[in-house]
Amino acid sequence: MADEVMVDVRWLEPPEPFERVVNALETLPRDAALRVLIHREPHPLYRWLAREGYQYRTRFDPGGWFEIRISR
Amino acid sequence: MALPGLLFEQAPPVSVPLRFLLTAPWFAVLAAGLLLWAGPDGLGSRWTPALLGVTHLLTLGFMAMVMLGALFQILPVVGGVPVPHPRIVAAIVHPALTLGALSLASGLALGLHWAIRAALALLAAAFLVFLASAGRSLLRGNLRDPALRTIGLALIGLLLTTSLGAVLASAFGWSFAPPLIRITALHAAWGLLGWTLLLVAGVAQQVVPMFQATPPYPRWLARGFAPTLLAMLLAWSAAKWLTLELLAAALALPILAAAATFALVTLWVQLRSRRPRQDPTARFWRFGMLCLLAASIVGASAQLQRWSDHPALPLMLGVLGIVGFALSVISGMLYKIVPFLLWLKLQRRLGGRPPHIKQILPDRHARLQLWLHTAATLTLLAAGIGQNGLIYPGAALLSGSALTLGVSLLAAWRRSAHAVRDSQPHRAPAQSGRRAWRELKP
Repeated sequence: MADEVMVDVRWLEPPEPFERVVNALETLPRDAALRVLIHREPHPLYRWLAREGYQYRTRFDPGGWFEIRISR
Repeated sequence: MALPGLLFEQAPPVSVPLRFLLTAPWFAVLAAGLLLWAGPDGLGSRWTPALLGVTHLLTLGFMAMVMLGALFQILPVVGGVPVPHPRIVAAIVHPALTLGALSLASGLALGLHWAIRAALALLAAAFLVFLASAGRSLLRGNLRDPALRTIGLALIGLLLTTSLGAVLASAFGWSFAPPLIRITALHAAWGLLGWTLLLVAGVAQQVVPMFQATPPYPRWLARGFAPTLLAMLLAWSAAKWLTLELLAAALALPILAAAATFALVTLWVQLRSRRPRQDPTARFWRFGMLCLLAASIVGASAQLQRWSDHPALPLMLGVLGIVGFALSVISGMLYKIVPFLLWLKLQRRLGGRPPHIKQILPDRHARLQLWLHTAATLTLLAAGIGQNGLIYPGAALLSGSALTLGVSLLAAWRRSAHAVRDSQPHRAPAQSGRRAWRELKP
């Protein structure tokens, strides 16, 4: 299974979650995946990911946040 | 509970809301200048020409300017219901509101009947075009969403406020005599509670949890506040109109209790913020909510202890409700909305890597204005209570506060314009735009 890097952007003020995820993706090894914890569904990020050719899967965590797994 | 996401795909061009938000602070500068010019005589009563001018520079030129401008962004982003043809609507509403607010304030302050008549035409155009467009888009939205429904009810409040205002302006402009005092009471109550407080309550449900990392507002408040307040305001208005003064006084108490409840719940969710340190926007909101609470207590005390005819009461309520509550909350939001809109614009133009938002508008500007604005509110309150000479330092502080806001927002706009302009010759946007920004940042 590929390596996974986690970014926790819960409760950060917009647009900091977006900025941190984009920064993390820039340094992410090509075969690794990014796991993002975020407190709201980031529609603008989804649009950006799709445009840049990333794949993502979102899961709602019963703890009250979303977990998004992003990979190439 | 996880918070829903926002829908930026349907947002209008950034220039649409931005023109309103960058214009507004200069009306507060004008209002402070008019207060300075009027001096202590301006506080003789709520009816002095200067005070009528100041009130409308603040309520139309500052508050309504920001509120309409922000709705162009909020309706599509929060509710998924864009205002149709936003460029055309904004191109009509913005100049009509700007010139209308200037005409009305100068007409009231200087007793120019022709200016009031011109204001009536301009403001009617601004509000009719806005209400027709926003109302149409709202009716297409999901009105079961509490935030969107609250905003919709606030627009009913705006319709009533502006209609009553049009009757009053016609009376001033053509010198006829409807029951002015009763209509003014309804106009002020609908403007401050039915429009301003309801819109703040609708927007707060989105922006307080988002920008201040608080839990969501409780469901009972999110769902029940707007319809309850609107129903009570309608009942109070009927009693007031029929001169059933005892009934109107009795109905005023639950209305003030509802306003106080909103303030207390906002302070309570703020206390439960997941951020240990409050930023200037959160402090602006906290001060605004304390002023709303104080205004509710003062209003209730005046009803219960029978001093509602005291000439200082409207001045106290005006300072607490307009300067202390509305201007604080709106100023605090402008420090979030304007850099965020500029960041969005840069993100669209420069790809995924615009400059950090704190570089667009650093917090120190907001901190400075927070102190000036708090001092201005308290000094003007003391001036309204009887220390009329304090109008000079109060107006000077208000002018400093508004200037700080206006200059800060313009500086942020100029920085973003430079970053865009300097990135244009290179068509490889991400890196060149960021580099251009680093060179330009203060």
